[in-house]
Amino acid sequence: MIQVCADERADLLLVAGDLFHRQPLLRELKEADSLFASIPGTQVVLIAGNHDYIRRDSYYRTFRWSSNVHMLAGEKLEAVELPRLSCAVYGLSYHARQISAPLYDEARAQGRQRTEILLAHGGDGAHIPIDRERLAGLGYSYIALGHIHRPHVLVPSLAAYAGALEPTDRNDTGPHGYIEGEISPDEGGCRFSFVPFASRSYIHCEVEVDRRTTGMRLRELVEEKIRQNGKENIYKFLLKGYRDPDIAFDLDALGRQGNIIAISDETRPAYDMEKLYRNNRNNLIGKYIESFSGAEADSVEYGALCEGIAALMETRRGEA
Amino acid sequence: MKIRKLELTHFGKFRDRTIRLGDGIQLFYGENEAGKTTIHTFVRCMLFGLERGRGRAAAHDTYSRYEPWDGPESYAGAMEFVCGGKTFRLERSFGKLARRAELICLDDGEQLSLEDGDLEMLLPGLDADSYLDTLYIPQSGAVTGEKLSEKLKNYAANFSVSGDSQIDLTAAREMLRQKEKELDRQARKHLEERQRKREKTEQEAGYVWRDIHRLEEELDRVREGLELKRIREEKEQKERERRESETRMIDEMRPAKWRVHPLEVAGIILAVVILFALVPRPWNYLLSVVAALGGGIYVWNRMKVEKKHKKTPPELILEEITPEEELASREKLLWEQQHLEAEKKEKQIQYDNLQEELADMSELDDVYREQERQRAALSLAFQRLGDVALDMQGQVRLELNRAVSGMIGQMTGGRYDRLYLDEGARLVFLKEGRRIPADRVSRGTMEQAYLALRLAASDLLYEEPYPLILDDTFACYDDRRLARTLDWLCENREQILLFTCQNREAEVMRREGIPFSLVDLS
Repeated sequence: MIQVCADERADLLLVAGDLFHRQPLLRELKEADSLFASIPGTQVVLIAGNHDYIRRDSYYRTFRWSSNVHMLAGEKLEAVELPRLSCAVYGLSYHARQISAPLYDEARAQGRQRTEILLAHGGDGAHIPIDRERLAGLGYSYIALGHIHRPHVLVPSLAAYAGALEPTDRNDTGPHGYIEGEISPDEGGCRFSFVPFASRSYIHCEVEVDRRTTGMRLRELVEEKIRQNGKENIYKFLLKGYRDPDIAFDLDALGRQGNIIAISDETRPAYDMEKLYRNNRNNLIGKYIESFSGAEADSVEYGALCEGIAALMETRRGEA
Repeated sequence: MKIRKLELTHFGKFRDRTIRLGDGIQLFYGENEAGKTTIHTFVRCMLFGLERGRGRAAAHDTYSRYEPWDGPESYAGAMEFVCGGKTFRLERSFGKLARRAELICLDDGEQLSLEDGDLEMLLPGLDADSYLDTLYIPQSGAVTGEKLSEKLKNYAANFSVSGDSQIDLTAAREMLRQKEKELDRQARKHLEERQRKREKTEQEAGYVWRDIHRLEEELDRVREGLELKRIREEKEQKERERRESETRMIDEMRPAKWRVHPLEVAGIILAVVILFALVPRPWNYLLSVVAALGGGIYVWNRMKVEKKHKKTPPELILEEITPEEELASREKLLWEQQHLEAEKKEKQIQYDNLQEELADMSELDDVYREQERQRAALSLAFQRLGDVALDMQGQVRLELNRAVSGMIGQMTGGRYDRLYLDEGARLVFLKEGRRIPADRVSRGTMEQAYLALRLAASDLLYEEPYPLILDDTFACYDDRRLARTLDWLCENREQILLFTCQNREAEVMRREGIPFSLVDLS
């Protein structure tokens, strides 16, 4: 990221909170600061988010940043003015793990400089709820949002979540990277776009199986998916569809190829419930199906229905 | 449903053979090898299709047994049947290359689709397994009486529990149990993994905690050292002040150039003399020598101290106030204290972070939730299966008992009043108020009970009455019972395909005036 700033000669690097996942150690701050200091041409503005909130004994309170790094550490909205860029960046830092007050609703731009940017963190119930309409009416040229890991635009050409630079857990699927933009007040304000940057991503793949899918075929399907989407990525596979009732997939063996963190088998044995019911209306199978009538497709009841039928069918005698 | 016509294009030994069938008893008579088995196999294949087996077993399976020697294209047939007031024609071709099945309604010419399950719609509930289990009643000649009794018992027990003798409730529930156990095993494994991870973090936290304590101890030591230094310095300061004032007093009295005051020397000599003179002999020698030595040491000491005093006065003063090495160690201690405090804070934050991580870890994860769900599904399935079965059992037994009892009464000519399943799903005959277990009756009766049970089961299973196929079933029946059974069947069933290699059935029916149509296969 620092290299990108150096190469692109970025004027401003905005860090919208949670630079650290937990309380930063002094050596970590030193490390970060020395990285920031290595791009003296870029002004770095940062705030503390809910993860690295400013605790009573936080190093954020005492750390002396390099001259191009500006931390908005206050509990209330404050601004750093960068006259060379005729720009002011507003923001506040978390001093508690959770803030449920909608602090940004009244955080108006104060007109200190020509270009004014808000650096905000949060957006869900426990972390400064954000109202889109209000946000749009605050009068900023750009609002950099943090907290939510998935990058997305909240207000077109005004406010966006950059998301995490790299996915941080297995459910952080989709692309990750940063937001690159340009603000030129003379030429119609702010243009920005998302730049994919993560070196790998988590991919949830669904694999559709049918009655003809064997263990070998499934393995091929999985390998093919990995080949298509890139070997560097980390996969979670979800098997769907109706499998041959006699086949059980060996998930352990399957999980050993490539970067697969989880495979969940949601396949159902290819029992045609309606047909089964029609053919067994008067026996235990029919009554059993009947007792689950109206079960939702993803409910525990439906799971019980499938398990029960599978058990009944598999233990069924060939001939009396 | 009634079968009207069988057309065997080429099936086993039959070639272009058409058999028309009417209502009531259809007696297929033929000697051994005449093709009786072929006919009822054909009926089964028409209803459920004929799949080619795979591998070595294929050499002896049904498919190859009836496959024509020449031209497998003609391995085919058709069946016409009446169902719901309409006549249908089902054509099947079993050839390897030309597998095909068609279903047409002959009344309106509508083409029906087997793939879409139209046949199942027409013949609800009929599948290959239950067909073999109820409608097709084979010859039991090869089965010993004991085996038959066992078979009968199982059939009754399974049927009364599940409404289908093939369904094995106990095995099914056992399987669910096993699955649950397997799930438990997986959950334990997962839990252990998590625990290991936790322990690792805990261990790390433990190390950090130990570090913190070590740092604290060191800090205590440094602080103590500093405190000691301070106290000692204060003490020394006082001492110095005291000594300074003392020495100053003496120094003032002493002439500047003398290292030892003359009066001091005179005093010492005087003291020696006085001691020598005043103290009685022999002690005076000793005491004066001691005093002289003491004086000598004092003077010598004085001279030595004075030698050291040759340094310049400012240096001297500085040295006296704070010795150099002491100054350095005090600064070092202060620095050390600062350093230790910083390190301790760093470790403390690290420790807090690890604790937070541990707290996050104790939240239950997706895997656990998914397993919980599966477990819930399995235990619900287990529970529900039991409930439904219990619910059914009573009902099925009731219905079965009703159906079976009438039948057995008539078949045995009132010899047994009733046949019923008791609470434990055991088959019991009732004769003049006496209970007779099924394994105590004669083989013939047992077979009749088996037949009655199957018929009753088929009535319970199917809403539509299907043709009954009896394959040399009556070998063990005596003539009276055979007549009664056939009479009952004729009255109660719409269509019966009776295969036999004996003339007995035909004779009995002729004698008793039971209507039947004869299909001569020989």
